[in-house]
Parts: sequence; C-alpha cells; structure tokens
Amino acid sequence: MAAKAGASPATYSPSPTTYKKNRPPIFTDVDWVRPDGRDFHQCRPAFLRTGAVNAASGSAYAEFGNTKVMVSIFGPRESKKAMIYSDIGRLNCNASDNKEISSQLHKSLEGAIMLDTFPKTTVDVFALVLESGGCDLPVVISCASLALADAGIMMYDLVAAVSVVCTSSCLGKNLVIDPVSEEENYQDGGLMITCLPSRNEVTQLTITGEWSTPKIHEAMELCLDACSKLGKIMRSCLKESSSTSQE
Amino acid sequence: VYPKERGTPYKLLPFVVVLSPAAIEVLETLFPVPNSQPQSRKKDRMQEKIAEEEMVTPGEVLGKGSEVKAGRGAYIAPYNNTVYASLTGRRCIVPSSPESPDQRPTVEVIGHKAHGPVPEPGCVVIARVTKVMARMASADIMCVGSKAVREKFSGIIRQQDVRATEIDKVDMHTSFRPGDIVKASLSLGDARAYYLSTAQNELGVVSAESMAGGTMVPISWTEMQCPLTGQIEQRKVAKVGA
Repeated sequence: MAAKAGASPATYSPSPTTYKKNRPPIFTDVDWVRPDGRDFHQCRPAFLRTGAVNAASGSAYAEFGNTKVMVSIFGPRESKKAMIYSDIGRLNCNASDNKEISSQLHKSLEGAIMLDTFPKTTVDVFALVLESGGCDLPVVISCASLALADAGIMMYDLVAAVSVVCTSSCLGKNLVIDPVSEEENYQDGGLMITCLPSRNEVTQLTITGEWSTPKIHEAMELCLDACSKLGKIMRSCLKESSSTSQE
Repeated sequence: VYPKERGTPYKLLPFVVVLSPAAIEVLETLFPVPNSQPQSRKKDRMQEKIAEEEMVTPGEVLGKGSEVKAGRGAYIAPYNNTVYASLTGRRCIVPSSPESPDQRPTVEVIGHKAHGPVPEPGCVVIARVTKVMARMASADIMCVGSKAVREKFSGIIRQQDVRATEIDKVDMHTSFRPGDIVKASLSLGDARAYYLSTAQNELGVVSAESMAGGTMVPISWTEMQCPLTGQIEQRKVAKVGA
C-alpha cells in the first residue's frame, strides 16, 4: 500500500479507491431467469422425511432442489469430552468437520432446545451434506430441528431457516430467496434468519456483505414469512411420519 | 466357566449379560410391574388420561395458561401465558384431582418415540460394578428404574455411600466385586460420573457370581453363598422381596 507523505500514522485500513468493486456487472439489462424457473421470491419445494437412520435416536433427511442433507441425533448420552460439571445438558454439533457450519448450527439450535431436561448429558448432532446445491446452512438447520423433534428431545419450538441474497450489480436489483449455488456466487450480500415459527422468535440472524437499510427490512420480512411457511411444512411432515409409525 | 483368582481385577466384555429365567424372576420381584399393585392404582384410576387422536409437534399451542396446567411434554410461556407442546406425540388431558385447590386439568404430550431414559437424581438404578478400588468402586449404569438405557452411563460408589453406619470402616473389597449387579440410588455427582449410593437396606448387591462361577444366594446382610462349592463370600447385600 502506498504511504502518503505527511498523512496520518500508518494504518491498515483500505483506502477508499481500492474498496470500490471492480467486478463488472454480468447482466445489466438482461433479466436474470433462475435456473429452475422460480420467481425471485419463491422457495424450492421441500422434501422432508424423518427416521432415515435406524441406529440413531432420531434422524431426518431433507431435499430442497439439489441440496440434500441428512442429520442424525444421538443422545442424550454421556460424553467423554465433558470436563466441567454442568447443571444443564450440552449440545454438540458436527457437520463433517466443517467448523463454520457446525458452530452456526450450534448457535441456532441451542436457543430452541430445553437443555435443563437432560442435565450432565450431551446430545450429539451429526449433519452430513450429501449434495450441496446452494443454501446449505439453512437446510441443515431445518433438517436438524426436524431430527431433534423425531428423537424426542424437548424443544421450545421447531427451528426453520431461510436465506436471502441481495444482488445489486449482477442480477438486477433484486432480492433472491433460497438461492442456488450459482446465485450465491453472484451475491452482494446474504442474510439468513433462523426462527421459531409459532413463537415468532429469532434464534440467529446472519448478515454478510453490502446491504442498505430498506433492503434489510424487506429481506427480513421475506425470510420470516418463508420461515413460517416452512414451519408448517415441517409440522405436517412430523405428524405424517409419527402417525404412520403408530399404525 | 473358569475359576477366577481372588483379587484379580478383570475386564468385562462389553456385552449385555443374558439373563436366565431364574434371574429374570429375581429382577421381577425387585421391580414389580405397577399394574399388579392394587394400592397404587387407586390414585391413577381417579385421574384417567384421555388421549386424543391428533398429533402435536413442538411449539404448537395446547391451551391457555388460565385454563390448563402444563404437564410432561408441555411448557408454559410466561410472556403470553400460553401452554405449548415440547414433544411430538399425542396430547392427553389429565383431569385434576377433586381435592386439589387448582381445578385446572393438566395437559401432557405422550411422545411417540422416547429416547432412552436419562438418569435423574433420586432414581433407583441397576449398575454393574467394573472396578473396585480402595475408596470407591466404578459401575456402569445399565437400567434406570425398569427401563434399560441405550448407552451406558458411568457411576461411582464412594466408600462413604456404601452403607449408612460406620461409613469410615467400610472395606470396598468385602462390599463389591467386579461383575456384581447392584441396585443403587443416584445423584448427579461430578463431571466425570454419577454418584451411586447403596446406603439403604433395599440397595446393594442383588446378583453376584462366585469365584467358582455359580450365581450366589444371599444368606445375610453381608454374606452370599455359592451353591456349587458352598463357599461364603462377603458383599453388601440388598434386601430383596416384600
């Protein structure tokens, strides 16, 4: 970085000129058509099933377009890693050694589980992304909460997650909900909300990139609406699978 | 079955012991099925549960806090005084007993798929002793109440928890041996293990194998006898039966 003579003491903040985006807009006057023909505010159809893994206490499989995820739950069981005594239970998330997804999954789920119903023990959540077709983390979170409900862990509510990307330079000034990997690559900013649909509470909000305030408001409303619809789909899936298992 | 040398700790195979029918009968007398006791049923009959047909999922509204109480599988949210479900299962309403001041019925959710039981403080568990040391014995908790756990939990029986009297004069080797099945009451303990206590008449060793390999018969509070050889061994024996 060139140091200006007589200027303020050396810092490592980027100078304003280097900060401007040099990426040329890819589609300026052409309207972006989503690869699967969806509307910009339309989510992919969700296929959800519970009870996929027999060995686990609970499990779920989710398929949102090309994103296929399987989550299995073990617990509450004893954990050898527990060095400190704790009055409440512990949650341990592992997404095939992907630290980022694991820690975000942990943050979004710990607000929804009643940890004091299983003191001193641990619930292990193992998430496996079988195919990544965009919007992985929200699908993993929704699938994990379905698996937890299947395992009989006491929760305050199901957790539904949706993400939205905003693209102002590439795909026209649009908010694209439930993006596929291609759209995620063109994004200017991303917003993900995980919420408890029937209690209308948010457990995690992640915003990255460039956003203007009105766009954030719009995106949040879009997401919350989509989350409540996803919540209904998850509930009907749970009821269907438990009524078939009862017969 | 090979005769075991005295005092040699041996590692147990991690398989569940197959119970002979005689052993099952012994366990059934220890844990009588609740239906067979007429006295305890009287209270249950007054609060008959009405299970409904529809399934509920976590987060569904079960009723208002002013009308129902939250039982097992449900919780009440303080900010809007509503009772929500916390499990997937069938809703069932338990009418309140006539003499209680609070006449609201209790709403519960019966989970369709219960995970293995979790040890709770105060419950009676069945554990198998794995190691006996000078001041404590390690045991693997196999059953909580009358239900078997999916994966074993670790427990410790400390010297001061073996019996109620003369607790500093307890010799662990004359109270337990590796492989004994003990009935104990549980407390949460520390980070590494649950604390088990056998400091009551009904708690202690319920089944043990002698050095010759036969299942021993209890003959007193502190002794068990092998039916094959007649040898008497010392244990902290549990009082079995009514």
